[in-house]
Amino acid sequence: MLTLFLQAEPIRQGPLRQLVQDGWPILLLALVGVIGIYLLMPQPGRRRLAWGALASGVALVAGGVLLIRAEMALAETILFYAFAGIAVVGGVMLITQINPVHAALSFALVVLSTCGLFLLQGAPFLMASTIIVYAGAIVVTFLFVIMLAQQEGQSGADQRSREPFVATLAGFVLLGALLIVLQRNYQRLSFDAYLDKFERASRAETSQEILSILGNFEEIIQDLRSEVPEAPAPKTTDPLIEARRAFWNAVHDASFSLKSVPKLKRKLAEAHAAGLTIRSLQGSLVPSAALPLSGNSGPPRNAVANGEPVRGLPAYNVAALGRSLFTDYLLPVELAGVLLLVATIGAIVIAHRHKEAS
Amino acid sequence: MSPVTLHNYLIVGAILFALGMIGFLARRNMIIMFLSAEMMLQGVAINLTAFARFRGNLQGQAFVLFILAVAACEAAIALALVLMLYRRSRSLDISDWQELREAELEPVVDEEPLPPPPPEEPLPKLTPAGKEPAHPQETSHV
Repeated sequence: MLTLFLQAEPIRQGPLRQLVQDGWPILLLALVGVIGIYLLMPQPGRRRLAWGALASGVALVAGGVLLIRAEMALAETILFYAFAGIAVVGGVMLITQINPVHAALSFALVVLSTCGLFLLQGAPFLMASTIIVYAGAIVVTFLFVIMLAQQEGQSGADQRSREPFVATLAGFVLLGALLIVLQRNYQRLSFDAYLDKFERASRAETSQEILSILGNFEEIIQDLRSEVPEAPAPKTTDPLIEARRAFWNAVHDASFSLKSVPKLKRKLAEAHAAGLTIRSLQGSLVPSAALPLSGNSGPPRNAVANGEPVRGLPAYNVAALGRSLFTDYLLPVELAGVLLLVATIGAIVIAHRHKEAS
Repeated sequence: MSPVTLHNYLIVGAILFALGMIGFLARRNMIIMFLSAEMMLQGVAINLTAFARFRGNLQGQAFVLFILAVAACEAAIALALVLMLYRRSRSLDISDWQELREAELEPVVDEEPLPPPPPEEPLPKLTPAGKEPAHPQETSHV
């Protein structure tokens, strides 16, 4: 058990090396994606469409396998893969088409598959309004403008891009940064899962029960490596470092007291309390209990009892959304109406053909 | 709770956002640039609805509705601007407007090559058919 703790020491190395070590699949994917999108971008001369499509396809499939960990081959998982794949492929087609009409139709494809994702997320009203507003109104208006503006055929503007390599690189640097942050945050979710496990285990009776809840201590310590306090400073006033040290000491003691059930339970309860402190100090999405929230937008999170599992949004929520919009969000709804009116007036004024121009 | 986790929806939203940013930066056609910006908004909307679903309240969905309203306003204004710019330069190329600058700044030079002009069709040549007949000398009879 002691060797395990030596392994669990934080690896002290340069941030760049750690980035490469932790996020090499994402960096590799982003590199392949840069190559693919760059080859697909409209450029004068011969475009290597086949190679670009191959590289983008490899990046898409590898991303789907490596990044997305959906659980089972259920209907929801299959639909998610289908809609997400169509949305990403449509997005790539939108930014690489030479003909703007085809680009607008690819945008309609992106919008429709996004609406499928909305439906999977239990947002039927948003799905309907997005189809009506985007696919119905915006795409048709764009097509009108394209046909109005391109009566003499394709222009040289569509056949070349502006700094395609730098733009693609910038986009994928942003995407890689987002994905690495998401990956780290996703690993942090397991911290919450372990806190839940510790809390349940500290209320269990027998040692068999505790071990069946906790599983293997080896894996726990590997997963919680990011919570190890950085340096053994003798005196510190930082409450986060203190809480991390208390948490880690409690987990450490618990892993050595498997024989005595009361001590194990006490240490697990200590780890749970210290973990909650860490969670509150690191900041979380749950608002503090002092914030007044109305119940019209769903159960306010600060009203949920401590430790109760979060329940997802039910799919039948259109009436509740309307109630939320016209109580909590009444002023924003009115402001959005004013904004639409002002935008309409502005568009008419801008697009109006003046007498002297004609 | 659900076989597809919040993390997966956030990844899809991030990918759409990054693709839209690439399109906005790299394309020259103003309409495709605005379509790319709308795609970035779609990525954000996926994120917000996913948070609404997994946190069990409706605030994310209400926010997406306001995004829809702002996107509709943006599309109306953008199309009006595109039409106005098109009437002035007879083209949708955003690089036609890169000379807009302060008086003391250097002008931006568009260094990318234009696409090669299409090869000119060679004029048809008639094959010589037989011997050229002798032209009778025309004389004017006055």
